[in-house]
Amino acid sequence: MNLGVNMSSSFFPTIKRIIKLGLTNFWRNRWLTLGATLLMTLTLTMISVSILMTYLLRDTAALINSKIDLTIYFRDDTVVDNSITALMTRIQGLPDVTSARFVDKAAALAIWDRLPINENIKKPVTATNNTLPRSIEISTNSPDSIQSVVDKIGATDTDKIICTECVSYSKNKDTVNRLISITKFVQRAGLVLSMFFGLIAIFNVMNIIRITITARSDEIEIMRYVGASNAFVRGPFIVEGILYGLFGTIFTTLFLLAIGYGSSYYAGTSSGALSFLQMINLDIFQYVLAHLFDLVLIQLGIGVLLGIVVSSLSIRRFLEA
Amino acid sequence: MLAMMDDVLHIGNETENKVQAEQGKLPEPELKPEKAPEETKLETPKEKHSDSQTPLIDFQHVTKAYARKVAISDVNLRINEGEFVSIVGQSGAGKTTLIKLLTKQEPPTHGSIFVAGRNLADLRAKEVPFYRRKIGVVFQDFKLLPQKTVWENVAFALEVCGFSQDEIERRTTKALELVNLGRRRKNYPEELSGGERQRTAIARALVHSPKILIADEPTGNLDPVNTWEIVELLYRIYQRGTTVILSTHNRQVVDKIKKRVILMKGGKIISDELGGKYVI
Ligand SMILES: Nc1ncnc2c1ncn2[C@@H]1O[C@H](COP(=O)(O)OP(=O)(O)O)[C@@H](O)[C@H]1O
Ligand SMILES: [Mg+2]
Repeated sequence: MNLGVNMSSSFFPTIKRIIKLGLTNFWRNRWLTLGATLLMTLTLTMISVSILMTYLLRDTAALINSKIDLTIYFRDDTVVDNSITALMTRIQGLPDVTSARFVDKAAALAIWDRLPINENIKKPVTATNNTLPRSIEISTNSPDSIQSVVDKIGATDTDKIICTECVSYSKNKDTVNRLISITKFVQRAGLVLSMFFGLIAIFNVMNIIRITITARSDEIEIMRYVGASNAFVRGPFIVEGILYGLFGTIFTTLFLLAIGYGSSYYAGTSSGALSFLQMINLDIFQYVLAHLFDLVLIQLGIGVLLGIVVSSLSIRRFLEA
Repeated sequence: MLAMMDDVLHIGNETENKVQAEQGKLPEPELKPEKAPEETKLETPKEKHSDSQTPLIDFQHVTKAYARKVAISDVNLRINEGEFVSIVGQSGAGKTTLIKLLTKQEPPTHGSIFVAGRNLADLRAKEVPFYRRKIGVVFQDFKLLPQKTVWENVAFALEVCGFSQDEIERRTTKALELVNLGRRRKNYPEELSGGERQRTAIARALVHSPKILIADEPTGNLDPVNTWEIVELLYRIYQRGTTVILSTHNRQVVDKIKKRVILMKGGKIISDELGGKYVI
């Protein structure tokens, strides 16, 4: 009599049976399962929102960078490169200017594309139909010197290549700064909240799994008596954990899309409540759609991992040490 | 593995079955396993627990202490391959604990347990499930899954061990024929008599063609008729060459079997006799 490992088991029927058992159990305890899935959804929603906030912050930063201190635009596309180079040299020579950067049409389009603004405004501008003007972004040593810099540039513009009425001071800079700090706050709050809900979810999902395990302790006991391997005892619970992550992702995505659609619709009709959104002309629905793939991947990753870890922890005491 | 399966669970044609059913009956006044037909025999069951051979099971100074209770105390016990051993003793004597040690559900506090020459303490966690497949266990409360049929309950033991569908069919059929439950395969446990439930549990225990069958008070919940049915079945399994360990506190059962009887009391073995009677 050989007591050692005697591999008579085949891999694929085993995997198939484990998945089948997991699915059966998922369905048999559907109310408990629903609870675990909703908790998972809550966690994933919090995580998704804070991720969206991170993206938003990044894009807003792009927006703000494009509004350095002062941007001057060229009158039209006929202005020749020589004139531009000459102007650049003169601007860089000004005492209060710390930096000046030429933005050509392609760069302008790249910035434009990243702006978190309504798609309907964005769409008409393309590489072939690029109506964006070329510009020079200028940083000054202090906000107080902006006006004098503008005046000096105006004086040196002998060729009249600057669109004087569209010089952009950073009038919005305060607003944008405020926006950034709000976004940062929301992002941090989102992170803390999602960790908080994540912990609650882990705790509750663990409890729910423990209940389903207890409900099936007879089955597990028999599995062990007849010599089921640890993998087989653990397997169906892992499958269940994966299902929590899977369904959590589906629910979360639907939920985010609904919220996005709702707020876009609402922002389009109201004036006061969502002024924050209108200020940057953000279309949440479009924004969610644009990041949907990333979000789904992240949710799936986190959800499935969480499900697997929690299931494995709960089942541990039933396994051979 | 398959050859062993055939030896232990070999079911021939109808006439063969009848012959075996005859032999399952406990003859008076004496049981001679040597009379078992050639094809059922794996190894001639040993009537003596002689020291000349390596015992299949060897408990060496085994003590099992729970938090407040010493359940087994310095037990030495050798069981040879092919034996039929009855462990008797009142409730709390330590019978179940002895079995749990043997199936490696619990580790001993002191001492060593060897099975087929291998120290159970040296079995790695990964090997334990495979070890369990070589020991069939049945219990007083049957431990059947109520939402599964007879067939499914037996097949479950193979499914969770990764056997192929063909192999499951083959082994389940044979095991159910052996316990004579082929016709009840589609019934649920609640539709069965106590004896039929225990026979289902025995079929499940045999489906891996184990070398050892352990029955912990298998007749504890059964009426006398069903009790005999189970005892005869265990005896038949023993005749086929499987080592059988039966724990019981039923005096009639022990007195009738007339095999080796180990009497336990307060966690100790207080007598160990061949052809023993239940004496307390
Ligand atoms: N898991 C346990 N924890 C604590 N004490 C136990 C445990 N299992 C058994 N015992 C004690 O060990 C003694 C022997 O029990 P057991 O082996 O079940 O006896 P038997 O099967 O002969 O009735 C009893 O006194 C029982 O209370
Ligand atoms: Mg007991």
